[in-house]
Amino acid sequence: MIEFQNVVKRFPDGFTAVKGLNLKVHDGEICVFIGPSGCGKTTSMRMVNRLLSITEGKILVEGRDNRDFPAEELRRKIGYAIQQIGLFPHFTVTDNIAVVPRLLGWEESRIRRRVDELLELVGLDPDINRDKYPRQLSGGQQQRVGVARALGADPPIMLMDEPFGAIDPITREVLQEEFLQIQKEISKTIIFVTHDIDEAIKMGDRIAILRDGTLEQYDTPDNILAHPKDRFVRDFVGSDRSLKRLGLVRVHELMDTELVPSVRIRDGVEKAKQVIEQYKVRSAFVVDDDGELRGWVDLDGIRHSPTSLVDAMMEADYHEIGVRKNNTAREALSAMVARGFRITPVVDKDGKLLGSITLQALQDLAEQGWGDEEANGS
Amino acid sequence: MMNRIAMLGGLIAGLGFFFLPILNLKPNRLASGTGFNLLEFQGDDRYLLLFLLALVPIVLAFREEPESRGWLLVGTGSLLFLLTLILPAGAGRVLLQDPEAYLTGGAFIRNPRILPSGGMVLGLLGAYVTIFAGVRDLARAGVQMWLQAIATWVAPLIALGLLLSGSFDVYSILVEFYANGDALEQKFVEHLMFVFISLGVGFIVGVGLGLWASRDERVAPVILYAVGIIQTIPSLALFGVLLVPLARLGDRLFLPTLGFFAIAALLAVLTAGLYVWLADREPARLRFAHLLATAVTAAVPLALLVGVLVSFLFRLANVGFTSGAYGATTSTILGLLIAALVTWVLARWVLPAEGRAQSGMRWLNRGLSLATVVSVLVLFVQAAGNNRILGSVDSIQTLTIRDLGVSGIGVAPALIALTLYSLLPLVRNTYAGLNNVDAAIIDSGRGMGMTPSQRFLQIELPLAFPVIMAGVRNAGVALVGIGTVATVIGAGGLGDFVIQGIVNTSIDQILLGAIPAIGLALVLDATLRGLEGLFTSPGIKQVQS
Repeated sequence: MIEFQNVVKRFPDGFTAVKGLNLKVHDGEICVFIGPSGCGKTTSMRMVNRLLSITEGKILVEGRDNRDFPAEELRRKIGYAIQQIGLFPHFTVTDNIAVVPRLLGWEESRIRRRVDELLELVGLDPDINRDKYPRQLSGGQQQRVGVARALGADPPIMLMDEPFGAIDPITREVLQEEFLQIQKEISKTIIFVTHDIDEAIKMGDRIAILRDGTLEQYDTPDNILAHPKDRFVRDFVGSDRSLKRLGLVRVHELMDTELVPSVRIRDGVEKAKQVIEQYKVRSAFVVDDDGELRGWVDLDGIRHSPTSLVDAMMEADYHEIGVRKNNTAREALSAMVARGFRITPVVDKDGKLLGSITLQALQDLAEQGWGDEEANGS
Repeated sequence: MMNRIAMLGGLIAGLGFFFLPILNLKPNRLASGTGFNLLEFQGDDRYLLLFLLALVPIVLAFREEPESRGWLLVGTGSLLFLLTLILPAGAGRVLLQDPEAYLTGGAFIRNPRILPSGGMVLGLLGAYVTIFAGVRDLARAGVQMWLQAIATWVAPLIALGLLLSGSFDVYSILVEFYANGDALEQKFVEHLMFVFISLGVGFIVGVGLGLWASRDERVAPVILYAVGIIQTIPSLALFGVLLVPLARLGDRLFLPTLGFFAIAALLAVLTAGLYVWLADREPARLRFAHLLATAVTAAVPLALLVGVLVSFLFRLANVGFTSGAYGATTSTILGLLIAALVTWVLARWVLPAEGRAQSGMRWLNRGLSLATVVSVLVLFVQAAGNNRILGSVDSIQTLTIRDLGVSGIGVAPALIALTLYSLLPLVRNTYAGLNNVDAAIIDSGRGMGMTPSQRFLQIELPLAFPVIMAGVRNAGVALVGIGTVATVIGAGGLGDFVIQGIVNTSIDQILLGAIPAIGLALVLDATLRGLEGLFTSPGIKQVQS
């Protein structure tokens, strides 16, 4: 647990970067510090491991004032990963990861086992990579080693300052996903600094929005998106915040499995018309005997070909018009907008129709807290 | 693609043979003689063939396939190199059998000699350029490193063998060498000591100043400026300038001078301490004046210490390393050094990374290194106890600074000047090397919990090491050159031969001094590069010039 108590940071030239920060980071959570440039997010983070001194107030680490320990001892218990990565170019990958364990005096064989374990954790083959030098690695690989190094001595707490900032967007997304997977396994208490709101929403269990050295709002991503405290937060998270919220919800949380308007090819046109009228929809899904989605049919199509369902239906590929259970609601909305539908079929990997998700359901979700200015969060 | 370097090699050798004499027959040691061009030796086709051989690389340059071309060039170049040395030797012997028949002019003939001339120099140069071009082709064709090494070194090594077996004794340089052999050895060692003592003391002072400059941005420009100014003073002028004060210093008695030194040092320490203590609290202008005052007060005792130290060390080294009495200690030191190097190589590359053999070898290496250092100290102490160091002194009361080796003429001014000249490359490279360590790396080291000394030893120093070593190399090679000038103030060294050669207009003597000096510079450069390569992590190795 990390607790900021009325923390103030004033620099010798008089500039006050942090003006009384009060915040508690719970165990096993990723707390994202975000805000515009100069808001004090990196400064606050660097006071946790005393790379910067605290002018007033205190920071408690695992219940104790972080000034109770000698600085080096404190830092060896806190993992540290930065944007420029900062791997030692003259050390091998193994020696880099082994820095803190060696400072703590671990036995060499224990260190070697730990290094291999961490390399596997971050997705690098130990046999290939353990003796390489940083310059032989790509940017993404270097940052993985950086994360492994921060985890070297298995610290309970980690500080990460825009660790994926210097990586290309594609690799960044991969690293973010993998890091979240790792966090599921190891549950560290993490302060993660970023200036990218999408990264904050994706990575954070809680987000602390900072401006000019003060805490604007501190809450879960969904609450901040649903109930931004004031105009600043509202503008900061972006005017598409409802869409962003939809990005936090998976299709399987909103889908219908029971009331799905669908008809089998073999059941014919009459049944299709029945289904459409019964469900009060504009079109029904058409499946084959195996339940695989083959297209859809609407009243216009039936009017043109009143006798054959095969002629009346519009054929479509389930890859193009359907979404999977694990897609986000935002992706479902994107599919709807692309086709002009108000309903999207949900399929499995073989194309079997599992259910559907309606525009109405998405709107209902978004409406919870639209335009709400109430303060929310601690 | 045409190998332009090979073409260049062929042109150099060919044009050299065509236009310049290859040998010069001198009637006596001093007079300039008659030149003989390669093509003048008619009636002996060998010489014509040598000329044609020089033109072969030009033809080979157009051949396309790299690997075969490479080997052909190496072969041609090596053959050319050796024959350019061997054939004229034979011609020389013929000439010497009947010198009157070949000499023009009425010069007095006594101990006539054969001097290699411009044609031979260009021939050898062209030959070596050809070999170099060939090795490059081989490298590009992917030939293994050890084969490349053989190709590069086979010709010089054979030449060396021939030299040692006496095949080249007809050349005047070697005649001169045999006449002056002992003196050469002594002067070579003197020169070596100039370089090592000045470099050693300069290293401590220079790296120290560079370190200070990299830590304190306000001090940096002052230090760099000061050592830069020294560099602009021509060496001969600096030697001259040091003559008078050193002569005066030599006259002083030791004990009073020691007292003066102690007081001056104390004053300097106080001023410096005051500067550091007040550092951030003073206004800029006062701080600058304070810094200047510190520099001036520190300069006096520092100069005194360095000046006396280098001269005394030279005396000690002279007696310790060169006098026959300490042969046993010197060979012990050499043996220990070699053993330490061997164990280090074993520990680093031959043995597996962990285990008792590894740690055992590491400890052995540390022990041997320590033993070497102790032996050197023992040698110095032994030598110091020798009467020759301090001359015939009755008591410490009558000991003068001159007895410690400091005087206006002799090694003292030379060593002090050399130490001063070594400062700029050392300070500048140390400063640049330490400053150029990426701040992000040091920050992550700090964030992980390294103490300042751990950061310095494990991050900054290893990363700055290649740059600092480049400075040491620079300084070393420069000192070999400047040391040659030291002869004019009676310091000794290889310059003695050069000056004597100038005075006597004997080119052989000049070469006797110049060639070992050049060789020393090259070997020093190569050795330091090798050491640098050994100690630099593969993660940061770069191709250096």
